[in-house]
Formats: sequence, structure tokens, C-alpha cells
Amino acid sequence: MRRIFIRPELCAGCKNCQVACLAEHSPAPSVWLVNLSDRGSRPRNFVELNAAGRPVPLSCRHCEDPECVAACMSGALSKDPLTGVVAHDPEQCAGCWMCVMSCPFGMIAPGAGEKSIVKCDLCVDRGSPRCVEACPTGAITLVKGIPPQGNKEQAIQVVGGVKQ
Amino acid sequence: MKYLILGASAAGLSAAETIRRQDHRGELTVVSGDHYIYSRCLLPDVLAGRRDAGAARFVPKDFMELRGIRWIGGVKAEKLWPGEKAVVTDTGEKFYYDKLLIATGASSFLPPVENIDRGRQVYGLRSLEDVQAITEASGNCPGALVMGGGLVGVDTAAALNEKGLAVAIVEAAGQMLPLQLDRRAASRYEELLKAHGIKIITGAMVSSILLDEGQNVTGARLNDGRVVPCGLVVCAAGVRPNLSFLEGTAVEIGRGVRVNQYQETSLTDIYAAGDVCESLETFTGQFSPTPIWPLAVRQGQVAGTNMAGGHRKMTNNFAYKNSMSFYGLNTISYGLPEAPDDSYQTYIEEGMGSYKKVIVKNGCLKGAIFQGDITRAGVIGALIRENFPAKTPGGSLFDLSYAHFFSQREDGQFVYDKTFSTEF
Repeated sequence: MRRIFIRPELCAGCKNCQVACLAEHSPAPSVWLVNLSDRGSRPRNFVELNAAGRPVPLSCRHCEDPECVAACMSGALSKDPLTGVVAHDPEQCAGCWMCVMSCPFGMIAPGAGEKSIVKCDLCVDRGSPRCVEACPTGAITLVKGIPPQGNKEQAIQVVGGVKQ
Repeated sequence: MKYLILGASAAGLSAAETIRRQDHRGELTVVSGDHYIYSRCLLPDVLAGRRDAGAARFVPKDFMELRGIRWIGGVKAEKLWPGEKAVVTDTGEKFYYDKLLIATGASSFLPPVENIDRGRQVYGLRSLEDVQAITEASGNCPGALVMGGGLVGVDTAAALNEKGLAVAIVEAAGQMLPLQLDRRAASRYEELLKAHGIKIITGAMVSSILLDEGQNVTGARLNDGRVVPCGLVVCAAGVRPNLSFLEGTAVEIGRGVRVNQYQETSLTDIYAAGDVCESLETFTGQFSPTPIWPLAVRQGQVAGTNMAGGHRKMTNNFAYKNSMSFYGLNTISYGLPEAPDDSYQTYIEEGMGSYKKVIVKNGCLKGAIFQGDITRAGVIGALIRENFPAKTPGGSLFDLSYAHFFSQREDGQFVYDKTFSTEF
């Protein structure tokens, strides 16, 4: 299983990850061609300030036991047992927002003006998440081979982003 | 091991999936009253013609086949014989089990209204058959009356309106969606419903359904004497669990089949999950039905785990959460929709087409409504569910995101760390 690890102390708050995400999920995946005035242009990751005013880069955890999948009444959300990716099928989505309601971390947003959601897909078709590639500080890195239930004994391997 | 699951909706199928993950060999049978597998939550979409009946399926077509599940649809449990460990169905068949899951769901409640059981065009909206019957009846129907202005009632009214029928909703409370929303949030939906030509009647109840000689519905009389002409009535006044087949058994029943935190009923090897059961609800700390999809799935998973020999406890059995979208206006609410007394503080933020409200008591969140912009509502929902102390100046509660609580396990999973004090 792969997951984007977060080290908020390294985050510079540049939002490169958000621009990268926007570009990757726009019709022409180029930063130069993203239509920022389109209400549909919404990154799937967030950089939010914490209580101390420090930026924290956040994105979907593709949880082991996802609340969003349990809440999905249309079958649009599913967790791939092999890759661990929590995937969304917009064709099946009913726009009921039960996933938005149920994600305790607020990582799913409704799509603008459509019955579909905005949620991290780990850039499955790309190999490595574009946000991770775009991060200049190593605040977000892709880690694969995550042992289930956070077993400390097994080593984890950093495969993307800047190693610190 | 022989597993028998009664019901093929959220609870039944999530249990089946869970069992199969843990026990690859056991004999797994699902028996359901439904002929097809579909999500009840999608029935208004099917009724409105927004979605085909086939697309109301919430699991892949090969779900049963892939898991080696024997599925028998269109068959209802008629009698449970716990001594024999068997269930007899309305087809006269007898199904034996080692472990039984009762996930038979609930049916529309028909309130005690004169002629309600005699009128030929009185329906609930709980099955594809209901959708079909309503669709047929609406063909040459002057108008429809929906009894109950809750989530199902409003959804049904909007669907019938979309089909071109004149629709009236009758709600006993003073507003639409009284269990989910406060007056302010409900009024925006009321305006939208009215703008689409739906008649809203609040603070009144149907006292009798008017019939012609052929028992066809011609209208409804309200308790204030008013008469609403209509050709069909849809009851959306709540549900009652499907448990008549348990009569005469020792299975403990309250407002549903009583289960403990392992989804076990009072009888050994018999479990229950979903709308049919009553369980210890997290927000109230009381036993009650928890008739929402996410909890049916979770309870099914817990029951399935334990039926297959595991040991899992139901946690976060939090039923006070709602999401809705009517006419493009989205709302999510949690906990209390209104502060019950002066010991609660209410904070409101409005603007940019959104209405947000949180209710706080003793530094803990007790209720919230997000209307319009619903992004990040889940964080507030988690704080309410966890009874997490969020000692923060009221207004800034709306700015909370998970960044304020950021804490991750060594595997990168986010958690809400209870030892973490959030005073900011």
C-alpha cells in the first residue's frame, strides 16, 4: 500500500502541491493551461494553517478502513484491495455527499456544480502523485509498502519526493 | 460453517463481504425479500427518471458470484426456529444456519389515518416495486400528496414534481426537515420547493384519505378540515423494522431487534444489523434504531467479523448526521439542529450563499449545520461524534480544519488524539 506521508514542519506553504494537483486533473495537464477562473478547478489536496499559523499539507489517507466507502450508498466509492487506493466512479456517484459528511478529516469536497466529488486519486495513472513531485521541501513524500495497522517493526520505504 | 443472511441491502451485503474475507470456505447464503439488489437511497432518483433502475445497484454485478454467495431474491423469512437453527420462508423452504444475520431492514410506517390501508393508490417508497407502482399510478393522476416532510418526503416530492405532477407535502412540525435542520436552513429548501410549484403544508396532519367507490384515492382531509385533492399518496412518515418473522421467539425486541456492541442479539449465534435493529447510539447514549446507510454498513461489517469468528466491537455508532442536496443546495448537519436551552451557545456565519451554525455546550460541540459550502464539514462532525473539547472562540470554529488537529500514526493514518488539548 502506498501513502503520501506528511512532515508539516518542512512545509513552506508554497501551495505548489495544490497547483500541481489542479494541473494534473485538468483537461490539459499543464500548469500553464489551468483555467483558474473555472469554478470546477479545485485541487484535491489542501494546505491549511494550524492554530499556530503554520501550514499543514493535507490529502486523503486512502484509509485502511475508510469511512467514505462505508457511507457511499451508490457504490461509487470503493477501496482497491490490492493497491489500497480509495477510488471514485463519477458515473455511479449520486452527489448525496454522505462521503463529505463522513470523512472525519474533511478530505472530500463536493465538485462545483456537478454531482460528483473532488478527492485524491493518488494519480494512479501516473505512477507517482504529481503533488509529491512538485513539493520542493520534502514535506510530502510517497511511501510504499506500508504495513497494515501501523506495524512499527516493518520498515517503510520512501520512493518519491525529496528525502530528508 | 453455514452462514445465513436475511436481507441484501447495506447491512446484509457488507456482512457477506466481510464474512467471505475471513472465511473462504463457509457456505454463505443471502435470502432477501427484494428481487433485485439496489440502494434504497437511490429510489427517488429512479422515480424521477434521473437514473435507470439497473444503475441503482450499489455493488458490482458479479458481487455474489465472485464471493461464492448463494443469493435467493424475492423470498421473505416467515418464521425463525432458533431451537432447530432454521428459518422458514414464505415459499415454504427451510434454511439451516450455524450463524444467522438478521438484516431485513424496515418498511414504510403507515400512520393511523382513516382509509390508509384501503386506498388503492397509497404507497411507501422503499422498493423498486414501489417506484414502479407510483410511476404507473402517476400516469393519469391529477396530483400527489406526500405525508411527511423529512428527507424521504422531500426527496419524493421533488421527484414527483420533476415528473410533472402537482405535489403537496404535509408535515406535522412547523417546518420541513425538522429532525435534520433548524428553521433558517429549512426555509431555504421551502422556498426552493415552492419555487418549483410544490405546495408545502406545515403544522398539519392528514386525518383521512378520501376514496371513491372503487377505493381510488381522490384526496386527503387534514386535521384542520382542509381538503387536498390528489390521486396518490406517498407515506414518508418514518419506518418500522421488518421483524414479524421473529414473533414467538425469545429474540429481545425494543424498537428493533436489540443488539449489543458485537451486533449479537439476545440469542446465541443470531446477529442483527442495519435498520432492523436497535443499538446503543453514540450521540444520545441510548438504545435506538440507527437508520442511516453508513451505520448499516458498519454494523454489517461488525456482525460479519464476529460471525466468522472474529471479535470486533461497533464503535462510532453515531446516527445524528445527515446530508442532502435538493435543487443544487447542499446541506450537512450533525447532532442537535437547535440549542435546547440557555446552557448552549449558538454561533452563526452567513455569506456567499452559505449558512453555517454550530452549537456548543461546556466547550464541546453538540450540533452543526453547514448549508451551501459543505467543504470540511466532516471535521466538525468528527468533533461532535468524539465529544472533543474544542475550546475556541465561537466564530473561529468555522475555520477549523484537520490542520488544527493534525496527528498521524507511524503508518501515516490521521487520528484524533484525545490527549491533545485544542485551546486556541
